[in-house]
Amino acid sequence: MENSHEIKTTIYLALMMLASTLLSLCFFLHQSLRLDEAQSLWQTSRSAVGIITLVSQDVHVPLYHELLHAWRLFFGSSVPAARLLSMLFYLLGIPALYALGRLAYDRQIGLYAALLFSISPFMNWYGNEVRMYSLFTLLVICNQYCFVRLFKRMGDTHQGATWVGYMATALVGIFVHYFFFLNLLAQAAFYFLHADLFPARALRRFIIAAALVTAAFLPWVWFVHLQGQAQNQTPLLSIPTTINLFNTFAQFLFGFQSDAVNTFFLSLWPLTIIFAFLALRRGRLHSPVTEYLLLSAFLSVLIAFAISFITPVFVSRYLIFTVPALYLLLGNLFDSYAPQVGRFARSFVVLVMLVTLGVEIVSAATPVKEDYRDAATFIAQNATAQDVVALSAPFTIYPIEYYYRGQAPITTIPLWNRYAYGPIPPFSAEKLPAQVDSITADHQNVWLLLSYDQGYEQQVKAYFDTHYQRLLAITFSHDLTLYVYKIRYDTVRSQASAAVFAACMLPPKSDA
Amino acid sequence: MNTTPHNERRRDFLEVDVPKALLCTTGAMSVLYFLVLTFLFRIGNPFLFALLIAGEVYHVWQVLTFIYTTWDTSVLPTPRATYTPPVDVFITVAGEPVALVEETLTAALSMRYPSFTVHILNDGFVAKKENWRDIEALAAKTGVHCITRTIAGGAKAGNINNAMRLTRSPLVAIFDADHVPHEDFLTKTVGYFADPKVGFVQTPQFYKNYATNYVTRGSWEQQELFFGPICRGKNRHHAATMCGTNMLISRRAIEEVGGMCTQSIAEDFITGMFLHERGYTSIYVPEVLAEGLATEDLLTYSKQQFRWARGALDVIFRYNPLLRSGLSWPQKIEYLASASFYLSGIVVLFDLLLPLVFFYTGAVPVQISGMLLAAVFLPYMFLTLYTIERASNFTFTFRSLGFSMGAWTIHLRALISAITYKKASFQITQKSAVSGRFTELVVPHLCYIALGAVGFVVALLRSGWSASLLNNTAWVLINTAIFVPFVVAAFPRGAHETPEPRRKRRLPVSQEIRYGELPRN
Repeated sequence: MENSHEIKTTIYLALMMLASTLLSLCFFLHQSLRLDEAQSLWQTSRSAVGIITLVSQDVHVPLYHELLHAWRLFFGSSVPAARLLSMLFYLLGIPALYALGRLAYDRQIGLYAALLFSISPFMNWYGNEVRMYSLFTLLVICNQYCFVRLFKRMGDTHQGATWVGYMATALVGIFVHYFFFLNLLAQAAFYFLHADLFPARALRRFIIAAALVTAAFLPWVWFVHLQGQAQNQTPLLSIPTTINLFNTFAQFLFGFQSDAVNTFFLSLWPLTIIFAFLALRRGRLHSPVTEYLLLSAFLSVLIAFAISFITPVFVSRYLIFTVPALYLLLGNLFDSYAPQVGRFARSFVVLVMLVTLGVEIVSAATPVKEDYRDAATFIAQNATAQDVVALSAPFTIYPIEYYYRGQAPITTIPLWNRYAYGPIPPFSAEKLPAQVDSITADHQNVWLLLSYDQGYEQQVKAYFDTHYQRLLAITFSHDLTLYVYKIRYDTVRSQASAAVFAACMLPPKSDA
Repeated sequence: MNTTPHNERRRDFLEVDVPKALLCTTGAMSVLYFLVLTFLFRIGNPFLFALLIAGEVYHVWQVLTFIYTTWDTSVLPTPRATYTPPVDVFITVAGEPVALVEETLTAALSMRYPSFTVHILNDGFVAKKENWRDIEALAAKTGVHCITRTIAGGAKAGNINNAMRLTRSPLVAIFDADHVPHEDFLTKTVGYFADPKVGFVQTPQFYKNYATNYVTRGSWEQQELFFGPICRGKNRHHAATMCGTNMLISRRAIEEVGGMCTQSIAEDFITGMFLHERGYTSIYVPEVLAEGLATEDLLTYSKQQFRWARGALDVIFRYNPLLRSGLSWPQKIEYLASASFYLSGIVVLFDLLLPLVFFYTGAVPVQISGMLLAAVFLPYMFLTLYTIERASNFTFTFRSLGFSMGAWTIHLRALISAITYKKASFQITQKSAVSGRFTELVVPHLCYIALGAVGFVVALLRSGWSASLLNNTAWVLINTAIFVPFVVAAFPRGAHETPEPRRKRRLPVSQEIRYGELPRN
């Protein structure tokens, strides 16, 4: 009987992994490179030591980048190859989450959480992105597995292997993402609430673990401090609102949807009360593991939200590590319902997730899609050597230059020399005219590609709109728009190009 | 001692453990929510805003008084085991089946205690019950003193007062005809009266038939919250609620307040308050020492709820604790908290109306943008639910919530009746199931669902899809979901009723059974 369950479970997990793999192969691996991914590729194209220096100027920690560097040496430097590394971690996360769920609750809940994980639009997105998020999630799951084993007192008396696993995952985890510390913080909070659940001398071992983590991490902190420029390399983040807070949870469940769809989901927030009401059943005792998962899923998010009022760090992908706990809690919640209600709730959530996954894949309105490939290809096909390509924000040069094979030179607004030491120069409205003059001198047309608004996009666009004739505007994806401006009127060439634009050179996507 | 397989059911609800940190957090969240809702949003329609705020004041009051009551549930004086004065045991009867009375009588006679006398307080004659002679015959057969009233008046309280005049023991134990005492009832309660300040000792009102059907389960699950954390918590303020059965009272104390109160249909509740007012203390013993019967159908349940609601609301409108100088402030708060529960009818009505008003007129109480309200409301709601769950040792169910809120029509009727000082009749609590469907009782609920569905279409046609439309639809859906247990209970077949056919009899829904005119129990 037990064997039969094991075989079935293995088959289910294999099917989940297969489904996720197929999704990757069919859709996600072949998407255009996004800004963050381009940055990863650019950073990991350096030497191992160079990567550390570059990443220290960024907002991340370097372990994933070093792994990706090594991976690319073996598997090539194409975008799909790089994404495969993330996919590998993501796929490993499916059985890992099952194991955590089985340990925390039971086989059914573990399987359900793994199913949600495998069809999650949010997890699929980051499971196929050339970033550290799938590795981050996998490590958190492994770390939580060890932590739950500790307070459930599984294994041998001293739980030596579990402690080693716990410390190892913690040590590795902190070098994959800074937010791994929030995971540890939730665990510390749980320990102080339920110290009695842990084996004797657990406090001493946690202190040792904390000392090890601190000792290992301090050199990195010191090194980053020496570099001292991370704040200027990062995209602009604003102070989050409660809408961001709820959007984060909506994204965890339904992925990246258009504003209209998000509004639909968020407006129905009172319905979450029904979920709580239906869980009111006699004898459904709360368990410490549920408390732990609640802390893990919500405390971390709330802390990040609170910190963001001092330093904005509230980005849903940074909080991806709370997703496994959230899915486990959902599984447990539905398990607490009357059987028929539980089955309905489970199926309903799976259905909605599948639909939103489909929408996320197919819809052009998916807000996180960044079609730099089409934009670069279009520019390459249409811009001439007499034209110039201006990118703003400057760091979007990473994905563009990955695809761009055109004749027109590329520059940025504000002007930025990536190879010079130091951060990206800040935008200055006073310097803008001079910078634009320097860019436009000796060129026929400016191909201005705007994305990742850093707070000055409208000023740049307004400047061009008021000083030059706009020939074309094309939106390639959400927040990625190309404007073409005519600079000179004194040559035959410029007259000819104006005629071409006037003939409405329509791109494959929308024409603004 | 009863040792059925369901013993844990007798204990679970009494095992209360709520961390004070949780209580503090929940209280703080409820206040925060109220402040945010009241001050941080632009007021829409002032009238609706007033309704909303009135409802929220009530909710916050409920949360804070619950926290106040359950803050410390461990207070329980130590009884003196050597204190064993004589006890008169009253079994109040008014037409209940002889077999039922016999079971209670036999159990009462089997109690282990040095000196007690069992009396049957037979009101069958004044209640015009056919079996009043059978009760006398039962008393004669078992050698028990039977006191049969010949002059009606005062309902159950009058029956007890009449018996008090004819008996002499310093302590009196009172059981309804269907409440079967355990053999250790007296040994576990009398010792508290060694303290002469103790006016009465109350024990839980456990329903041994809780598993019979959907209604009995719902009734009991509601009781668990009251007889668990709430009653335990009231010990701290010497403010135990007198429940009329499964209790032991001091003759001297009762005589001092002029006997059981006959002026209200909640004679027990008010008599308890009078005792407290005279400086007597009270003790709630958190152990099931007697077992009774829950109402088995929605009609009987509704009548019982009405009687309790009307009696409790009388406390607010006729015997307001705030104006009773003999009560301490904690006792005043406790009485108000208990009585105000039955104001929920009007508050639920407010809550039900708000989304409907939006559907049909577009008016809203507050202009809300963003998710700030949700960010405060959801933690507040979840914490409150979790606190209730912890306090009730996870015995509180969705069904009991549904029964509590579904009874809003009954509570509303009781409120109107109390405000208008309409004379209330003492409704009989049936001890056997009344068969049939009780559609009439859930017509308002079904109308609400229908109005919600139509209103949704009206609002959609008026202004199309919007966040407000979706939000209000969600509230209607929540209200509908909460009504489901109550509506299900109205249709016994749908509620998987498992009645005992031999005890079923048909009774018209509209039939009023008045004390002194028709049989009572």
